[in-house]
Amino acid sequence: MIKTQELEINLGPQHPSTHGVFRMITKLDGETVTSVESKVGYLHRGMEKLAESRTYTQYIPYTDRLDYLASINNNLGYVQTVEKLMGVEVPERAEYLRIIFGELQRLASHMVAIGTGSLDLGGFTPFLYTFRDREKILDLFEMTIGGRMTMNMPRIGGIIEPPEEFWPALNKFLGEMPGSIEEYHGIITGNEIFQARTVGVGIISPELAEQIAVTGPNLRGSGIKWDLRKNAPYGIYDRFDFEVPVGVNGDCFDRYIVRVREMEESIKIIHQAVRDIPEGPTFAKVPKLIKPSVGEVYHRVENPRGELSFYIVSDGSTKPYRLRIRGGTFVNIQVLPYVAPGWKLADVIAILASLDIILPECDR
Amino acid sequence: MPQYGSGLFVSIAHLIRGLFGGTTVTADVVMTVINSLIIWALIALAALSLILLERKVAGWMQLRTGPNRLGPRGWFQTVADAMKLLGKEDIFPAAADKWVFGLAPMFVIGLSVMVMAVIPYGKGMVPVDLNVGIFYLLAVSALTTIPFFMAGWGSNNKFALLGGMRAVAQMISYEIPLVFSLLGVVMITQTFKMSAIVNAQSHVWFILLQPLGFVVYTIAATAETNRAPFDLVEGESELTAGAFTEYTGMRWALFFLGEYANLFIVSAVAATVFLGGWQGPFLPGWIWFAIKVLFMVFLFLWFRWTFPRLRVDQLMHFGWKVLLPLSVANILLTGVGIYIYQLIYPAIGG
Amino acid sequence: MFGKGLAKGLGITFRHMFDKKITEFYPEDMPTLPPRTRSSLALNTPKCISCGMCSSACPNKVITLTTDKNESNKKFLTSYHMDLTRCLFCGLCTEACPTKALYTTTEFENAVYFREDMQWDMMQRYRDKVASGEIKEEVKPETKQEEAKDNG
Repeated sequence: MIKTQELEINLGPQHPSTHGVFRMITKLDGETVTSVESKVGYLHRGMEKLAESRTYTQYIPYTDRLDYLASINNNLGYVQTVEKLMGVEVPERAEYLRIIFGELQRLASHMVAIGTGSLDLGGFTPFLYTFRDREKILDLFEMTIGGRMTMNMPRIGGIIEPPEEFWPALNKFLGEMPGSIEEYHGIITGNEIFQARTVGVGIISPELAEQIAVTGPNLRGSGIKWDLRKNAPYGIYDRFDFEVPVGVNGDCFDRYIVRVREMEESIKIIHQAVRDIPEGPTFAKVPKLIKPSVGEVYHRVENPRGELSFYIVSDGSTKPYRLRIRGGTFVNIQVLPYVAPGWKLADVIAILASLDIILPECDR
Repeated sequence: MPQYGSGLFVSIAHLIRGLFGGTTVTADVVMTVINSLIIWALIALAALSLILLERKVAGWMQLRTGPNRLGPRGWFQTVADAMKLLGKEDIFPAAADKWVFGLAPMFVIGLSVMVMAVIPYGKGMVPVDLNVGIFYLLAVSALTTIPFFMAGWGSNNKFALLGGMRAVAQMISYEIPLVFSLLGVVMITQTFKMSAIVNAQSHVWFILLQPLGFVVYTIAATAETNRAPFDLVEGESELTAGAFTEYTGMRWALFFLGEYANLFIVSAVAATVFLGGWQGPFLPGWIWFAIKVLFMVFLFLWFRWTFPRLRVDQLMHFGWKVLLPLSVANILLTGVGIYIYQLIYPAIGG
Repeated sequence: MFGKGLAKGLGITFRHMFDKKITEFYPEDMPTLPPRTRSSLALNTPKCISCGMCSSACPNKVITLTTDKNESNKKFLTSYHMDLTRCLFCGLCTEACPTKALYTTTEFENAVYFREDMQWDMMQRYRDKVASGEIKEEVKPETKQEEAKDNG
């Protein structure tokens, strides 16, 4: 009698498609996955503990290194938390600039998401097309602040004013974007092989998504209309007119298409912000030494990869007494053991790609 | 139509043959040795230039320039890469099955050489003009499955094993539509001989008579050569490098060489069977052949750098449920077509 | 019809084959980075008032500087070191600098072979730059005296 045995295969931490150092212990029956055990923590750097030995301003560059594809969004989340704690009013122009740069960063992040999504399915060329367009955004950032990945742009009480040449360059980029999105649709969305690989694959039911507290485009892909920019507006997001795209089935294709449509909405928001932006200062009057009064604060923002929230306890000194981060990826990744079993090995990669994980945010 | 300069290589061959006395056994042996040397050289040349072409085309499609450092416009890049691979350590994994692991890459390249012997490169330029040419070609190229599985099994690595299993499933499944798609042409020409098939296309290329056969052949050949969108054997995003995960240095390079030799072979077969081989006006026959092969190669490169990869079960479904019925339908249509044609011109066919 | 999307994709890649390539030929064509690029740091020693704001703004204790006082009770720099192995290039130090003596530059070729080469002596780098004519030394009477005294 031949005994059959499940094949245990170790995907990661060194694997081309685990987006860094994620590890999945996968059990295979032939090519079919029977169970996935996810292991995180390979990139733990003690981000929360580091905050306790840095002043409030000094911690801003560290937030760059959470979700390194969306560093301005992280910066904004942190900075707004501290502002909430201190009760600082940010000037109008700074608020608009924050919207513009936050949405540009969201565009760049979603470009990576859909590009690497295609790469994980074996399509290399679309990946480079999305990176071509991301490069334009990074050039805009570089022009403004000097960084490309780790921006460290907003400050407590304001944001850095972009140079004169930023505005024409931004307009040029916004003019080129619809053509680029059309191209993504041509080479990725419309491709029958891509559809065959993603439609109906890795369905996250709305119930499961709610139970695990999945957030961001992954949640909206499951058909739940929840976007903090609409449901609990922070900054001045309540002044903008935009849609919250949602998926129907909660499969990989829906998560992909939600991201592409979110990019279109981001462009819409940037257009409105550029139209309405007032003149004025970009920095509020904040003391040089930031010293919030004793208290605690919780603030959450909608990052490209789900909700990012900061919880800060202040003991009245210049450094946070305790800082807690809730990252989108850490929660979203927990859905994998529930969704992956039953699919083929290649589908697990597709599901992981559609979740758009980023490990530094997960492991912190 | 007239061709100029077609007889160049044939005349050289005649000259050499003449030196050894025309039709003697010595002359035959010498010619065989020279032919096999030429085939080896051709494989090396084809592989090196196709790798460069692949990287260049990929670069152009991705808004890059491709290799551009070594030599004029980067033409010597693959030569340098080959040198580098020659100098690398030949690692045998501790748990590997040494004989199976070591022999697999040699089998791949050996089979490629065997196949390349029957391809008509030009008028009178068939190293071995077998009267069962296509049959031999299909039989030998079907064996390519075995070295891939040997590599996967012998590595004693889970990724490699999965890759090897995929190789068996995929290549055997796609062998059938591949054979059936060529059968239509054989039915029309009533011969397996490669040169006779080319001669039969002096008036009309078989791509016009057998469009469905050509499409099925192109798809099945993509799968046979393990190229995207059917590159599941390698499947780098899920299996890191599939069956080749444990290979290093020259052994890995032999697989690489074999892959591009196979690409050349399937393109050459397509050019011979569907695109009229050496037939064409004005230019020498072997140049026409090279142009047609390059066209086919470009087609395969174009597919690879545009499409994502299929999943293993979708691959099987596509092979058995779409390609196989299509190729059978092609045979049926061809049979009906020949029957009707014979009613009109009773002289054709047997 | 099945295959329409595939054909469209093929069309897109084919069109791009003849597009202008966006590859940058890096060592031959040096990219000109925008002036705000934070890829390297430099110190304009004469402008420095030795306040130590940069070192206290730094999140990673990259900057160590020592100062001394001259006869007129005015502080001046005696040494200024940066440990680039720990630098995040966040630019907080340059923002904190009241006289903009510390500034970011667009030199981006900072790779070195040895770990010790990442310990930058900023005053020495300034003198090297002046010596190579890359920047002009700012002529301020009192700082000139200090420089002279510093050199011997």
